[in-house]
Amino acid sequence: MAHPAQMGFQDAATPVMEELLHFHDHALMIVYLISTMVFYIIVAMVTTELTNKYILDSQEIEIMWTALPAIILVLIAMPSIRVLYLMDEINDPHLTIKAMGHQWYWSYEYTDYENLTFDSYMTPTQDLTPGQFRLLETDHRMVVPTDAPIRVLVSAEDVLHSWAVPSLGVKMDAVPGRLNQTAFIASRAGVFYGQCSEICGANHSFMPIVVEAVPLEHFEIWTAMMMEDV
Amino acid sequence: MLATRALRLVGKRALSTSICLRGGHGVAKVEDYTLPAYFDRRENPLPDIKFVQQLSPEQKSLKEKEKGSWAVLSKEEKIALYRISFKESFAEMEKGTGEWKSVVAGIFFFIGFTGLVVLWQRKYVYGDVPHTFDPEYKQKELQRMLDMRINPVEGFSAKWDYENNAWKK
Repeated sequence: MAHPAQMGFQDAATPVMEELLHFHDHALMIVYLISTMVFYIIVAMVTTELTNKYILDSQEIEIMWTALPAIILVLIAMPSIRVLYLMDEINDPHLTIKAMGHQWYWSYEYTDYENLTFDSYMTPTQDLTPGQFRLLETDHRMVVPTDAPIRVLVSAEDVLHSWAVPSLGVKMDAVPGRLNQTAFIASRAGVFYGQCSEICGANHSFMPIVVEAVPLEHFEIWTAMMMEDV
Repeated sequence: MLATRALRLVGKRALSTSICLRGGHGVAKVEDYTLPAYFDRRENPLPDIKFVQQLSPEQKSLKEKEKGSWAVLSKEEKIALYRISFKESFAEMEKGTGEWKSVVAGIFFFIGFTGLVVLWQRKYVYGDVPHTFDPEYKQKELQRMLDMRINPVEGFSAKWDYENNAWKK
């Protein structure tokens, strides 16, 4: 989750999110450089004492400010396409989970081996134990093993939703009647929060997503416990 | 009838179809598709036409005097000739209006007024914030975030020294 007044991204929990972070740094630096240069030129033009400002012919600068932006665009496009294709890599998942969006909760189905299905409702503010995060906690978390490729099939039972967890670098629209696939590998254990990212009615802001990544042994213990309860 | 009489005036050059002739004196050739106009602009120091187009009798005699030696012209006469050609001197042109002071004053006023509106809203319109904003609750939240190692790489928990139980220096 974000800490108070956080401006940048949350720390990455998957390799893909890490790549996205670095690409963002790269692109933002280029943006800062261009903006600084433009701002400097504006200030220089407004405060100049020169009177002869209208040059009518300037082949060299015209070539420069055509070629340089083209080069900058290539320098942005290359890492961008690299990350894009990285996200689409065939990853041979170890586990497939279905995340179904409802109004206004998520339900998760782990049906690879057993038939484990449960709903995940937001914990209402008055029911929070002291220290829990308002509007982010749920009664059941989606538990996944670390260092394992996980495939998530996202869909919806009623209206559009979107399953998003920023630390994992994942956002996938939940469309009724459609199966959307996304995947991630949790590279570190932890609890990762996200929120529904497609307007879906009155409680759209109140159906969060909590993913808990644990080592495989603990994941097996958790599934056994959930099968007993459900 | 009227048309032929008008057209004959054109032939006599009493009526001109080109603005450049009517000026009488000091009209530059205009490059773009506009009528020659007077303007005070620093980057275009020489306007298309002189400022004063209809000369008074004194100005006309001054213009005649200008055709002679300039050394005999007095300072006031030189200034008068300048003022025939130009409306503002460079110094007057560059001076600025001080309008920015009114603009900044207006900005501050409206920011202040907005602040008053916000204060009024907070007192009379909005209810209480949720109990999760209480300082003790926030303290527990903070501790829980550290215990859960939220953002441990470069973010939140990375800045906490777990050995000494304090923020890293």
